[in-house]
Amino acid sequence: MESSILESIGQEIIGVMSPVSLCMLLVVLLVYSLSDSNPFSSSSAPIRTAANLVYLENPSDSTAQKLEGALLNALVFVILIAIVTFVLVLLYYYNFTNFLKNYMRFSAFFVLGTMGGSIFLSIIQHFSIPIDSITCFLLLFNYTIVGVLSMFSGGMPIVLRQGYMVSLGIIVATWFTKLPEWTTWVLLVALALYDLVAVLAPGGPLKLLVELASSRDEELPALVYEARPTVSRNEGNPRSTLGLLVAGVSDSGSVELQAVSNNNVRRDGAENRRSPEYTAIQVRNSENVEGERNRDEGERSPLVGHSRERYSSDSNSSEYSTVIHNRESETSVDEEMSPLVDLLGMDNEREHERRDSVVASRGIKLGLGDFVFYSVLVGRAAMYDLMTVYACYLAIISGLGCTLILLSVCHRALPALPISITLGVIFYFLTRLLMEPFVVGMATNLMMF
Amino acid sequence: MTVAAGIGYALVALGPSLSLFIAVISKRPFLILTLLSSTLVWLISLIILSGIWRAFLPLNSTTWWPFAILIFTSIAFQEGLRLLFWKVYKRLEDILDAFADRVSKPRLYLTDKMQIALAGGLGHGVAHAVFFCLSLLTPAFGPATYFVDRCSQIPFFLVSAIIALAFVTVHTFSMVIAFNGYAEGNKVDQLFVPSVHLAAGMMTLINFAYGGCVIGIPLLFLMAILTVMHCGRMVWRRLSESQRQVDS
Repeated sequence: MESSILESIGQEIIGVMSPVSLCMLLVVLLVYSLSDSNPFSSSSAPIRTAANLVYLENPSDSTAQKLEGALLNALVFVILIAIVTFVLVLLYYYNFTNFLKNYMRFSAFFVLGTMGGSIFLSIIQHFSIPIDSITCFLLLFNYTIVGVLSMFSGGMPIVLRQGYMVSLGIIVATWFTKLPEWTTWVLLVALALYDLVAVLAPGGPLKLLVELASSRDEELPALVYEARPTVSRNEGNPRSTLGLLVAGVSDSGSVELQAVSNNNVRRDGAENRRSPEYTAIQVRNSENVEGERNRDEGERSPLVGHSRERYSSDSNSSEYSTVIHNRESETSVDEEMSPLVDLLGMDNEREHERRDSVVASRGIKLGLGDFVFYSVLVGRAAMYDLMTVYACYLAIISGLGCTLILLSVCHRALPALPISITLGVIFYFLTRLLMEPFVVGMATNLMMF
Repeated sequence: MTVAAGIGYALVALGPSLSLFIAVISKRPFLILTLLSSTLVWLISLIILSGIWRAFLPLNSTTWWPFAILIFTSIAFQEGLRLLFWKVYKRLEDILDAFADRVSKPRLYLTDKMQIALAGGLGHGVAHAVFFCLSLLTPAFGPATYFVDRCSQIPFFLVSAIIALAFVTVHTFSMVIAFNGYAEGNKVDQLFVPSVHLAAGMMTLINFAYGGCVIGIPLLFLMAILTVMHCGRMVWRRLSESQRQVDS
């Protein structure tokens, strides 16, 4: 029996969703097991961080006071983040790449070492694991060093890198769950709004960063989770399926979006592990058929012997190739940053890259911040009840799915926080206010349906 | 020990679904997505229902008829939602077939369609178990257990896990039956599903009487077994039919 299409559809979505789910699950477990150990200490000594500089929440304060303080906290935090991001963009703009890299190495080391270390300590204390301090220090040091190396240098297995990304997200998220309740909620909403502005608005820092990075053909100078496809080597090209499927949904009108995968390239590219992916956008007007093949960055090996019936394929060593296919003539434009792409008014942008998730030649990318704040939401929900955890998890995952589908429609960087966080917050309060009394009232009477 | 008990309750409710998930669903990303979206649909339906009924809560726990009305409306709403789910699925099937044609792969097999229905049903069932059983299990991990007055023979967590198991089974397989019934235009199957759901829901009303769970739970499992048997017969018939078509 030939393999059915169900095997390939949605692989890229699952590739992003499973690490996010894993991260959330572990954060919930951590929050659960650690908050059990000292149920009263969380209120006794609230920590002072950048996220509650202005106002320290007190359980006895009135609601208006709490709301006002939380709003101020969130405002200050978002402004801080914006300033830091702008500084980052400036540094990147003036090519302080080495400084940035070293700074990120240091901060990853610091986060893994100190914050991770304190979480490990509390785990050891809570489960009373017998371990001496030297061994513990040695293990922690090794863990940290391997983490820094695997995140910032090549040659490490991708699984290790992904694992460390997830663990970094878990550590930061666990720290964020120590914030007081009101501040957390307002902060999450504010961050979602900030994310929306920073990625989509014309002068947004993250948009600038993504554009800079893609125009220089470099990696994003940020911590980004890459969902690299692992199965795609032997069979087909699963990443293009999402675009195709969406095209099937939305192929009304004259513009047809079509992703064309190229299997023979994959076959002869034995050492070409980062096989390129071709995306062809066909804009069908009544007069002419224009085909544009867009090659993403990250591809440096020349391709020989690649041919399709309708496209000429002399695109060695060029970054972008635009092929205009008229009725009779075939013109092939072959230059870097072809201005024709803009002149023709294609709806396909030159870069498919985005901050949060990138359909580039290396799969979808998700910023680490999204991991962290999804997990913060779920972790905060875990402090109330398990029911809210499930509702928030489902809401966040469906929001992520919506974002990914939008991504395959828009082909540009999209913020991953707004949809998910909005849905998550709405579902949290709906569950807490409406559903819980209903379900508990039914279930304790042993009534179900 | 308490952690072991909590995990045990969770596995009683969700163990079969877990093995079904690992064996069938997890290998195919599309089925995972179907499962997640159907879980979300069920959650939304539950939220809407609780929003409607919120004004009347908490119900007087000495009279039984408000619960009967509640269960009846809920089941009617959810069966309506199943029809909607079917409509959406139908469109999805067309899209998938068109997509399969475009990448020149075979169209959806009969087993594929059944697996999609199974994933949808499993989503409903898992959502039921999660919200009615698992989310109440938090105290079970602690150092005590809880008995309700009306069913004082076994702990509350165990009862709810067992009931959830029955409902997971009913939900999972009735979706397969319903989708097949809609596809074939088979009136018996179309009516079978709501009636089983309604009967199962009404059987939980027996728990309302003191000591009623001794009778109610076996009856509930009878419904679950009935659903599984009907589903099995139907799938067998469809598969042998399609096999005959291939042969001839």
